[in-house]
Amino acid sequence: MRAFSYSRAESVADALKGVVGHGETKVVAGGTNLLDLMKADVMRPTRLVDITRLPLNRIEETAEGGLRLGALVTNADTAHDERVRSRYPMLSRAILAGASAQLRNMATNGGNLLQRTRCYYFYDTGTPCNKREPGSGCGAIGGVNRIHAILGASEHCIATHPSDMCVALAALAAEIRVTGPRGERTIPFEAFHRLPGDAPQIDTNLAPDEIVTAIDLPARGFAAHSTYLKVRDRQSYAFALVSVAAALEIEDGKVTAARLALGGVAHKPWRDQAAEEALVGRPADAGSFAVAAEAVLRDARGFGHNDFKIDLARRAILRALQDAAASETP
Amino acid sequence: MTGTIDRVGAAAAETSFLLNGRPVTIRVPPIRRLSEALREDLGLTGTKVGCNAGDCGACTVRIDGRQVCACLTPVGQVAGRHVQTVEGLAVEGPAIGGRGGHEARLTRLQASFHRHGAAQCGVCTPGMLMAATDLLERNPAPTRGEVEDALGGVLCRCTGYRKIVDAVMGAAEDGIAFLVPQAGAAVGARVAKTDGIAKLTGEERYGADAMPADALWLRAVRSPHARARFRLGDLAALRRAWPGLAAVLTAADVPVNRYGIYPTGKDQPALADGEVRYRGEAVLALVGDADTIESLTDADIPIEWEPLAPVTFEAARAGGAPVLHADLPDNVLVRGRVVKGAVDDTFAAAAAASVVEVETAFVEHAYIEPEAGWARRVGDRIEIVACTQTPYMDRDEIAHVMGLSREQVRIVPTAVGGGFGGKLDLSVQPLLAVAAWRLGRPVRWTYSRPESMAASTKRHPARIMARACAGSDGRLLGYDFAGDFNTGAYASWGPTVANRVPVHATGPYHVPHVRALTRALHTNDPPAGAFRGFGVPQAAIAHEALMDDLAAKLGMDPLEFRHLNALRAGEPTATGQVLEASCGLAACIAALREPWRAARAAAEAANRAGGAVRRGVGIGCMWYGIGNTSLSNPSSMRVGLRPDGRIVLYNGAVDIGQGSNTIMVQICADALGLPMDAFDLVTGDTDLTEDAGKTSASRQTFVSGNAAERAGRGLRAELLRRLNVGEDAALRLEAGCVHARDAGGERTLRLADLEPDARGDVLSAVGTFDPPTTALDEDGQGVPYATYGFAAQMAEIAVDLELGTVKVTRIVAAHDVGRAVNPIQVEGQIQGGIAQGLGLALMEEYVPGRTENLHDYLIPTFGDVPEIECILVEDREPLGPFGAKGIGEPALVPTAPAILNALHHATGVRITRAPATPDRVLAALRAAGVGVTP
Repeated sequence: MRAFSYSRAESVADALKGVVGHGETKVVAGGTNLLDLMKADVMRPTRLVDITRLPLNRIEETAEGGLRLGALVTNADTAHDERVRSRYPMLSRAILAGASAQLRNMATNGGNLLQRTRCYYFYDTGTPCNKREPGSGCGAIGGVNRIHAILGASEHCIATHPSDMCVALAALAAEIRVTGPRGERTIPFEAFHRLPGDAPQIDTNLAPDEIVTAIDLPARGFAAHSTYLKVRDRQSYAFALVSVAAALEIEDGKVTAARLALGGVAHKPWRDQAAEEALVGRPADAGSFAVAAEAVLRDARGFGHNDFKIDLARRAILRALQDAAASETP
Repeated sequence: MTGTIDRVGAAAAETSFLLNGRPVTIRVPPIRRLSEALREDLGLTGTKVGCNAGDCGACTVRIDGRQVCACLTPVGQVAGRHVQTVEGLAVEGPAIGGRGGHEARLTRLQASFHRHGAAQCGVCTPGMLMAATDLLERNPAPTRGEVEDALGGVLCRCTGYRKIVDAVMGAAEDGIAFLVPQAGAAVGARVAKTDGIAKLTGEERYGADAMPADALWLRAVRSPHARARFRLGDLAALRRAWPGLAAVLTAADVPVNRYGIYPTGKDQPALADGEVRYRGEAVLALVGDADTIESLTDADIPIEWEPLAPVTFEAARAGGAPVLHADLPDNVLVRGRVVKGAVDDTFAAAAAASVVEVETAFVEHAYIEPEAGWARRVGDRIEIVACTQTPYMDRDEIAHVMGLSREQVRIVPTAVGGGFGGKLDLSVQPLLAVAAWRLGRPVRWTYSRPESMAASTKRHPARIMARACAGSDGRLLGYDFAGDFNTGAYASWGPTVANRVPVHATGPYHVPHVRALTRALHTNDPPAGAFRGFGVPQAAIAHEALMDDLAAKLGMDPLEFRHLNALRAGEPTATGQVLEASCGLAACIAALREPWRAARAAAEAANRAGGAVRRGVGIGCMWYGIGNTSLSNPSSMRVGLRPDGRIVLYNGAVDIGQGSNTIMVQICADALGLPMDAFDLVTGDTDLTEDAGKTSASRQTFVSGNAAERAGRGLRAELLRRLNVGEDAALRLEAGCVHARDAGGERTLRLADLEPDARGDVLSAVGTFDPPTTALDEDGQGVPYATYGFAAQMAEIAVDLELGTVKVTRIVAAHDVGRAVNPIQVEGQIQGGIAQGLGLALMEEYVPGRTENLHDYLIPTFGDVPEIECILVEDREPLGPFGAKGIGEPALVPTAPAILNALHHATGVRITRAPATPDRVLAALRAAGVGVTP
């Protein structure tokens, strides 16, 4: 029997006390993914600390002209917030492209960052999985891997990160604010999630005794030229085969700034700064976008069933950049 | 397939919250799912559980007004909050009749659902209502798109969503009054479901509802391997380690451990005996208290596995594979054959010939209600309360498995939260019976979603090679079909598929020369069984691709080519049967002609402008024999008259959402000449109702409807005789009397003066009907069905050539239903069938072990199902009740062909491997060198 204790934290300090020194402790907020994983016997925490009552549920302006999204603001409230919609339309679209209305009402921004992969083998305790049981092997390599990674995978893990929201956050170069026994710190979005390497069981660089308190959006929201494109097997409520957050600033037909991040293709939201830089100074046209797409996918590799994703990702990048270039209003 | 967290782990603690406006306090572990607490601890079973993973939305409730999944909400998180469930929706307003004479109240939204026929099986309805209530509170006049977004997290497998959207949009309309047809005007009326109110208030009881509080829990331990030998370890030690275990059942505990649909196909064990043949097969049953059963994980069970290489479909087709069942050395379960004329000669002489290869996948029924039920022993009888499509077959099968007489078995079917063929096979019943019989205590079992998907039957994957030819006059000459069907590990309904497909292989056309051969092959895949259409939907993809291709080769319009070749009354079918009436395909096709021409022209004009998104318009036609193939399948219905003047219809036909509880009353009422609202229904008990067969093969309206008509006419004849009035007398019920008026004046029969029978009826009549068919000879010649449904559907789609995505934008469906007994329900069947056909065409593919949940196995959502126009063609069937025949399966069959043909129209590329997912569409475009290559 996997017994565990359950407590409710009333303050951040309270929550940290609960977390410190208990390696098997998990914080639970919206709970939509963690409870699912505990049910499947994939995650086996011995302590749960419920943090839903912490005062991390506001969206506030930052001194730098951006927005601070509290870790406990729900995905729904974030997507529908008028400031987010007008200043960061790509983020709002990405959130609304994910999950369902019920889940967006429950899921929190912090929880969205920390959701685990949807790899079939991660969930199936009857198969090997290095993310679930380090050293047991990878069932997806050589198995059914249509939904798996084409970028940044390792011989130990080819799982993908399932979030839509995080793809937009990567493109926006958000920062994650965390707190722990060593105090507060800020993690650039790109450094928050990890590639699998030889330790695929570790998804993020959040320390076990830290909690996420907020996501900071920089002032630059790319409201004029941005989009989120999600290619999936059905029209709604399905994980992405490939998704693209694309954002441009354009002056006189030339790209002056670019952001490009992909979902459904890697162990983390996949932002490619080299591809972005390749766009700067070029005309905002199909030829430039093709160069960027090739750059993103230069090291892409399929594992059989997911080979199609390489070409699909190229096509999706082109479409997203074209849509972003064409869009004028959120 | 392991234990869950619900009942274990954290210690109980008090949680207080408002529940439907009233303060409650419960003492449970704060991590318990809210859905479980509502259902098990607070007795509110209106909140349904379909997946326990946030994928289906059936458990949607409102917390502080906002819709959430109760299955993913820990009880501890609702402290101090307001939880609203379906039971809390209607707290004021006028009372109307509810379940069993209860007074029920409805909100305008619920009333609108009732009026629009938005609930079929009803198991998703509470979730839909809660999501819609949240929307309407914030936005009283939503657009269709806003409705689809807000409700998009609740899956429905029955309705195709259109009537739900209509109901939400129409919720602002006044009133909760519903149509009550006059005597004699019930058939053809758009009357609301007779059992509809309970589905809207949460009162309806499905398999997992109303379990006895003292029941033991049962859980099966299932094989993680597709093929393996296994040895059980020390079960006595397991019992000692887990004192809460009341029993650990093995194969040795099952009296007759082989069951199956056909007398010759009793090959499936309730518990595997040393060898498993598919992943998900049950090997042990654990019975005990809830905490123990929920805490035990597979890792706790001593089983030694010896995995073996599984037999794949490819290996079975090739021959020489390991043998699954010793009596079938080539793994061929059954061969089907229909041969007429000299097909090979026709191809040599034809003006045009086409060939197609079709490949389809396993498709999961994905009813939102997982299998569930409970059983108890009463003296020397066993009683099983469970969701099922076939209580009488269950009764006979359980008698067989238990070694009891059929009189010792009582089956009490609950409301069924969707079936589509998947609840025609035994699921929870045999092990519940064995456990309850041995232990003398009630035992309950609800499948988890992964268990339901792993253990239950599937649609047969097919590999089809077909060719057809036509003359220069455009008339079909020959059709040559060979189809292999993956029937999985056990026989189930495999023989039905293998025998039904050859009869239907040509499609609904007149073809002089036919050869149609099928094989059902055993593999180490899940048993493939009955699924809406029994193989005909797979075969239809082939014949409709061929019709399009032949039309193109002959320079004919695809619709006109089909119209020319449509089977008409007086022409022989492939089995030599000549339909004399109710052969309405040509009329269905003609009904599509105008929208077809307009849509084809519009699409072609749009495509001339170029761009990445291309439009296409396709057509699909079908036919479908109603009832069993060349087998007797009788139904009986009893109608009785009470001393107080109420009429009781003893209705053994199980309503799985399709609406037979309403149809049977409509038919019987008009046959009797008395109004529907004088009727009460007795359903759901093999002890109380006559055998109305199974709810499958689209047979209930036609077969049981005929029985209901005959019962009604029988009771009417008896009344007329006693009243001594003529055939055309008008009957009226009033104050316990039947009044009859004819040319001779008015006469009265006082019912209280008559002696009631054991049921309490003073008069009653039984009607029976068995469709007239003949056996098929060795060439498949004969009369396999008494009547057929026909249809033509047209699909409009948009294909993104760059991304490979396909969006269906509109479907027009013309169906010959003989007579629409209830047009709302016929439309509901058509729309729901279309949604399933769309899933088959574009997204559904079950991969054992990998897609055993509703986020990896995708079924259509609100956003996937387009506008659907239904055209009802009523070419009366003389044998049918008031001219009616079936619609359940016909609705699904033409949709996938129409969509795939539209894909061809849009792109010039033919995809015959379903589902046509974006990767397959892109691959096909690339292979053909078609499309915009950015």
